Order: sequence, then C-alpha cells, then structure tokens
Amino acid sequence: MIDDGSLWLVFILIGLATTLPRAGFIVLGSRVSLPGTLQRALRYAPAAALAAIIAPDILVVGNTVEPFNPKLAAAIAAVVAALLWRNPWLPFIAGMAVLLGLRFLLAN
Amino acid sequence: MTTSFRAGAHAGFTAFLPLSVGLVPWALVMGMAMTSTGFSPLQAMGMNVIVFAGTAQLGTLPLIAAEAPLWLIVVTALALNLRFVIFSAALAPGFRGVPTHERWLAGHLLTDGVFATCLDKMLSVDDPRWRLGYYLAPAVWSWVLWQAFTLIGIFAAGIVPKAWSLEFMATIALLVLLVPMARIRPMLVAAVVGGLSATLLRNMPLRLGIVSGIVLGIAAGFAAERFEHGRKDHD
Repeated sequence: MIDDGSLWLVFILIGLATTLPRAGFIVLGSRVSLPGTLQRALRYAPAAALAAIIAPDILVVGNTVEPFNPKLAAAIAAVVAALLWRNPWLPFIAGMAVLLGLRFLLAN
Repeated sequence: MTTSFRAGAHAGFTAFLPLSVGLVPWALVMGMAMTSTGFSPLQAMGMNVIVFAGTAQLGTLPLIAAEAPLWLIVVTALALNLRFVIFSAALAPGFRGVPTHERWLAGHLLTDGVFATCLDKMLSVDDPRWRLGYYLAPAVWSWVLWQAFTLIGIFAAGIVPKAWSLEFMATIALLVLLVPMARIRPMLVAAVVGGLSATLLRNMPLRLGIVSGIVLGIAAGFAAERFEHGRKDHD
C-alpha cells in the first residue's frame, strides 16, 4: 500500500479527472462543442475500460489464463443474476455465494 | 431561495426519489471495497468526498492497491469518466442563465442517475431558477445518500472476516455496471475486445495492457457500429 501523502495526491488527481469531464461543457456552455465522430467513439470508452479492468482479474490465476476458476464462475453467476432479475442485491449475493462455495469445495 | 427554485427542487426530488434507492447497495459496496483495499475510514471518506464517482473509484482501486503508476490511474479514471463529457455537453444548454459558480457545483454533482432524470426538463423548461432547482435537488440528495451509505459500508467491512474476500464485491459491482451497456451489440464488442486485449497484454510494462485494452476496445466498438450501419444501408 502506498503512503498516506501520495494516496491523498492520487485522490485529488482522480477527483480532477472526474469533475473536469463532468463540469466542462456545463461551465463552458454553448461556446464549444465536440466533433460528432469523436463523441460517438467516446461512447465506447466506459465499456472498454470496465472490461479491461475486470477481465484480467477473473481470467488470470498466477500468470496463466485459467478458464475454470472460482472467480470466473462467480462473475458468470453475477452477470446471470443481473441479466435475469432487477433486484440490485442479487448479483452480489449470487457472485459471493459461488465464489465462497467453490473455494470451500476445492479446499475440502 | 426563490419560489421557482423551490418548486423546481420539489419536482426534481419527487421524480428522482424512487430511483435513488438504487444508490444504496453501490455505496455500501464502495465503503466495503475501499476498506478491503486497506484504506483507513478517513482515507476512504476522503476519496469518497473528493472523487464522488462510484465507477471511477471502484475502477481505480485495484490499480491503487497494485501500486500502479500515477499516470495510469489518472488515464483509467478519465476513460471511465468520458461518458460525462457527453452528458455534460447534452445538459449544457439547460444551464443558460445560471451563474458560473452554480454551474461548477452542478458539474461536480453530475451522476448517471441525475443526468437520466433531469435531461428532459433541463432542455424544455424556460425558467433558469426552476431548472437549477430541478437539477440540484436530486444531485444533492444523491450526494447525501452516497456519503451516508458509504460510511455504513466502511464500518460494516471492519466486522467481516478477511477470508470472505469482500474485495470481490468491487469486481461484481463493475460487472453489474457493464451488463446494461453490453446489451447494445457494438458496446459488447468494445467490452469483449477491451477485456481480452487487456488480458493477453497483461505482462506489458507499466500496466500498459489496460490502456491498450481500452483503446483497442473503443476502436472495435466504433468499427462494429460502422459495420452495422453499413449492413443496414445495403438491406
């Protein structure tokens, strides 16, 4: 874990990287606008970024791609719960139950 | 506070209240995830107040925990926040007649839920005070709910044993955000390409694999959109 001072610097920079995109056009008003093509391409950034963070975490064990592991199974359970039901708690319950259940079974 | 500001605030709050319940599990998970990463309650609440963005916070936590370089953390946060550039541009005409300092406040408090609730009225109502009230009431309410339930999550995480791997809740939270996006086909392409590239390129230095994954994902999503349009034109 990094030290306390650098952590606060990280928070401030992430804060700027959040407030500036949010406030930018609201503050500038109608004086500026984004080119349409760029706007359309940027729509894919959040999905690409989320997947780029999640995928290595659930596919890689040690340093090998492991298509059968408890985290991946738990992720699939969470996605299925999110697709089938509107209850916001279910993906967490399903995912954690599969993760802890499989780890328990594999350890015994 | 003018009468029309209060009338707008009342209307905005009423429209948003049922939706706002959805923030509660996120905030609880956020608190737990920051605690499992190793933040003290003060550091966790500090991040929560300074950043105030579930996706950017959850997405950068694994990078902070892995001591990734600062620029990568910032680039990742920016990528996760790019949607707000589009929201902000869409809402901008709704802030005509509103002073600059109130625009900064409104921008800082912009969230997905507030955008979805307010866009329509912001663009159709004439009175700037009414519009600002309609926007700020749900925005401030989201902020209060978010801070309160994150704090509860921080203390709830303290009493849960480490073997329960609560930090995996953060991964589940990111997945739950991704699921509705990936219902649109080019978005799904962007996610699959982004995820697989980041996995295959994971041994690149400076965690460049994640940035490459994001860039390749955006390119693939955009190409898929073009391909779909092309096909429709020929049908």
